[in-house]
Amino acid sequence: MKKFFVLLKKEIRELLTLQMLGPLIAVVLIFFFIGKVVGNEAAKTQNTQAIQILDLDNTVTSGNIIAILKQSKINPNVITGGNVNDAINNAKLRDEKAILVIPAGFETAINNLSPQKIEVYSIMKNFSMTSSIKEGSLRGALSIANESISNQLLIKSNPKTNPIALKQPIQTNDFVIIGDRQANVNPTVVAGFISSQTTFIPIILFLVIVMASQLIVVSISSEKENKTLETLLSAPVNRQYIVASKLLSAGIVALLSASIYLLGMRNYMSGLTSSFESPGSAMDAATNAAMVQLGLVFTVPDYLLLGLSLFFGILAALSVAIVLGAFAEDTKSAQGVITPLMIMILIPYFLTLFLDINSLSPVVRWLVYAIPFAHIFLTAPNILLGNYANIWFGILYLAIFFIVFVYIASRIFAFDKIFTLKISFRKNRNAAV
Amino acid sequence: MPNAVEVKNLSKSYGKIKAVAGITFEVGENEIFALVGPNGAGKSTTLRIMATILTPTSGSASVYGLDINKDADKIRQIISYLPEEAGAYKNMSGIAYLRFMAALYDDDGKKQTENVNFAIQITGLGSRLKDKVKSYSKGMTRKLLLARTVMTRPKLAILDEPTSGLDVINSMEIRRIIRDLSNQGMSVLLSSHNMLEIEFLSNRVAIIDQGKIHEIGTPEELKQKYNSKNLEEVFLAVTTTK
Repeated sequence: MKKFFVLLKKEIRELLTLQMLGPLIAVVLIFFFIGKVVGNEAAKTQNTQAIQILDLDNTVTSGNIIAILKQSKINPNVITGGNVNDAINNAKLRDEKAILVIPAGFETAINNLSPQKIEVYSIMKNFSMTSSIKEGSLRGALSIANESISNQLLIKSNPKTNPIALKQPIQTNDFVIIGDRQANVNPTVVAGFISSQTTFIPIILFLVIVMASQLIVVSISSEKENKTLETLLSAPVNRQYIVASKLLSAGIVALLSASIYLLGMRNYMSGLTSSFESPGSAMDAATNAAMVQLGLVFTVPDYLLLGLSLFFGILAALSVAIVLGAFAEDTKSAQGVITPLMIMILIPYFLTLFLDINSLSPVVRWLVYAIPFAHIFLTAPNILLGNYANIWFGILYLAIFFIVFVYIASRIFAFDKIFTLKISFRKNRNAAV
Repeated sequence: MPNAVEVKNLSKSYGKIKAVAGITFEVGENEIFALVGPNGAGKSTTLRIMATILTPTSGSASVYGLDINKDADKIRQIISYLPEEAGAYKNMSGIAYLRFMAALYDDDGKKQTENVNFAIQITGLGSRLKDKVKSYSKGMTRKLLLARTVMTRPKLAILDEPTSGLDVINSMEIRRIIRDLSNQGMSVLLSSHNMLEIEFLSNRVAIIDQGKIHEIGTPEELKQKYNSKNLEEVFLAVTTTK
């Protein structure tokens, strides 16, 4: 066993090189930097927005519109005279983002139930997300103003009228049912919550599995290339230790790398999401309670189950990678031999990202289920939907897959297949030609 | 006492390609036995079989009475193998590499230190052992690897082209080390293209071509038999007449 740890230490040291850590740290720093910059810029969208209003009507109604805009974090510079061109030039000079022109006779026309147009000139200096968010908040404020005037007109025509009853005679009381659980909540809110909770999970799974597989194939191919594997296999070491140390080290380093990547990406994403959230979008206590009621909040056992699935997923991917690595003649061919595994990971990754696998036609669904790595990506949705039998089936399938491929790998290393597989591979290729 | 190596009708095929075709030879204790032949003759395959990293297709081979197929684990404890053009882990320092390999051969820390100190002495690399292997010249790497091979004082050292790519001075140094260790009780099975080296080092020589051994004898016996001045002429005479 002592020799296993000697090998494990060596494998980790070989994988954690400066060449590997350098780009990793650089990517994280870049993510961190972009996250900060975007976050700061996005925070500015929450600041009061300066616009110019050319109020050619100058009445109580136009005054009400201006008051509503002020309540919506808009700082209007109101001008009651002049023409549009002057207002535009003035706005440009003052770095104001938009010009609203309330035409003369606006109030009179409105009171006569004649719809009026407010001209909105948006000064676009860029096409970034922050710019569109600012534009959106102005539209939102105008919509509130529209609603308010509409309500006033209705009340004016009949003081006993309830504008809401007139405009929305039908209202929905939403309930969501998941399995045996039910809660009084809007399904759009549930979908948004699930999306926000599970966005990172497939990315982490994908990153860890792909990295671990690449590491182990490169580890084997570089040993073959440098002929260090021959030395290692002629040493008095249990060959299963060699296989196990490669599996475990690649798993550890991949988990470490993925965590670092995730840290950087999370920082980047939180810079985007937290700053761009519209006011009032934060989940209130009632919604949170509904999510708990529906079982849509991950509990500690859920995370453990997810971890278990990922663990067996990594082991299964590594066991396939180590077998494929035996075909690699050198580090250059390492990427080529790992392609079948990448395809087996990419297909379920993209399918689960865009589709509901469980609702596919039976043939396609079972074809996806046949890919062991699909079960890793299906674990999180299955936990949320309470399909625990499917999760345990997936874990069992991954475990069997791992055992079979580890057995194949140990046979390859136990005999001379690790050196002769490439010869058979070439021969077959030649035969195919 | 069994021979260090006994090989009988040993064959190795890769599909339809027969790399070794029924060779037979023995290596006595403390003997330096050389396989000489052109590229693709089957030398390296034979050495790899004896190093337990390839399995023979047919025939038998043993090391100190231990069967190459059944007792591979036990054989690995008494042999050490230096592959042709082998490298070391490039990101390790020379000393870290020696310590790593010593730990694979022995669990006892004292024995490991003893072996590493012996290897340090053989390499003659001094403070350069603290540098990473990737900064070494070919000669330095080869010396490091030879030191690694013999530091455990194996009963049988299997050396594939031990001086390949080395300059005259480094080659002479390595030959001297092999000679000294053999005198101290180590048996050696080696391969080489270099006839002068073989003549200087080996007690006995086998001339191998196309997977078959054509001649076995001491350098003197072979030179007499083929009325040649040196092994190079013997080699040419054997390979052109067969």
